[in-house]
Formats: sequence, C-alpha cells, structure tokens
Amino acid sequence: MKYILMMNTMRASQGVPKWPQQDLQAHIAFMQGLVKELKESGELVMAEGLSFPNEAKLVRADSDGMPITDGVFPESKEFLAGFWIVNVSTPERAYMLAARISAAPGPGGAPLNMPIEVRPVPSGPPPEMV
Amino acid sequence: MKYILMMNAPRQGFETYRAWSEKDVQTHMAALWAINKDLTESGEFVGTEGLAWWEDAKLVRAGKNGSPVTDGVFPESKEFLAGYWIVDVENPERAYEIAARISGAPGPSGIPTDMPIEVRQIMTSRRQELP
Repeated sequence: MKYILMMNTMRASQGVPKWPQQDLQAHIAFMQGLVKELKESGELVMAEGLSFPNEAKLVRADSDGMPITDGVFPESKEFLAGFWIVNVSTPERAYMLAARISAAPGPGGAPLNMPIEVRPVPSGPPPEMV
Repeated sequence: MKYILMMNAPRQGFETYRAWSEKDVQTHMAALWAINKDLTESGEFVGTEGLAWWEDAKLVRAGKNGSPVTDGVFPESKEFLAGYWIVDVENPERAYEIAARISGAPGPSGIPTDMPIEVRQIMTSRRQELP
C-alpha cells in the first residue's frame, strides 16, 4: 500500500528557518537518517523537499493555451514543504512513520510536533475514471 | 531543473469533479495521459501521482511516547493536493508551459478546467543551498 506523507507549512516559512546552524544540521541529519532507513527497509518510494513558498507560482492557461503566472496566494494557504511516498504493509505503519517525522528535532533539539498529512496513493485511477 | 506541478483543490472542488459525467472524466483523463506521454517522449517526465480523495486524509502527530496521534479534522478552507507531476526541464518557463497545458485540460463539455496549478522548484535538486 502506497502512502504519501506531506509536510505542509503556513506562509510564514519564506526561507531556511532562522535556527542556530547546529539545530538546522541536526534536523537535516534526522531527515537524511530517516530516508536512509526507509531505503534499507525497502519502504521508500521517493522523497522530495520543495523550494520555499516565495518561489511558488500559480499557473493557468490563457485563451491561446499560453501560461499566465501569478504569485499571489491567500494568507491562509498551506504550502507543501516536502513529502515522502512509502510502500508499507498497513496504514498504521504509515502513521508511525508520520509520527516520527512529526517529532523531528527543531530549535534546541525539541520535537517540532508538526502535523503530517497522510493519504493513500492509489496505484492507478479509480476504474470508473478509465 | 526539477519542478513540481501541483493540482490543489478545496473539498468543494473534489465534489464538483465527482459530479462530472463519465464521458467528461474520460476526456479529461485522456488529455492528462497525452501530457504524460509527451513528457515521457521529450525526456522531461520524472513522475506523477494522483492521491486518494480528501476524506481519506489523516493528520498525524507524535504523542508523548512517539506513538502516532491521528486526526481527520481539517479546516473548511483547506486545499488538498489532488495530484502532482514532477518534470525535469531546461528553465522555469517550460515548467509554466506544461502547467498551462494541465490547467487547460478539458472539463465538463470539453471546456478547459482553468484549474490553477502551483509550480515550485524541487529543493532536493539544489542541495548545495541547504546548511
């Protein structure tokens, strides 16, 4: 069963957080360690970190199909900071991994306790859509 | 340069989509598959996924002992990721062009959905900027 684990942030995050260098390094080392472990267990499908929200563009097509880009987002918008796709035996395992990510170390090494959104990733579109 | 193209929608958007006729859904999906095929042929395709619907989403935090605390309550205004494409392109303009094609995919009665597609570069392809 494939699941996506999403780390969403509010707009405030416009760049690398202003944490002490040592805390940032500990956070990144935690994330890299987790990815390594999931590779070893065979559960990792992919993981990506995205650039910061100040680089986000909203794109639509004009009447000729050419892109119209816009960088204005509602104040309440959540931005995807990064995600993991894992292939696990049960949803509980996906929740367990999400809990570990949630507890990743932040400033002073304290767990961040970020909410992680977890959703199944079907292996294809629902049959009624094809 | 790797870019992610995200299709986000609030709950209402998902519900509207659910009410499309089967034929409209098939036309829409065919347009998206044609985009995937073109991207594969041009060597720009990295990956795409469609996610399960919003009602299957859980919000997870770690409890005191590190065990997961799950919650299914989201603010009414929350946008959910419906699906994404990751492409490897020469420049941002090309990523915007692909996003415009996705946005222009046909909806009910063949009219372009005009869905906004959020485009952002993948940071993991710019690792040198991280501490």
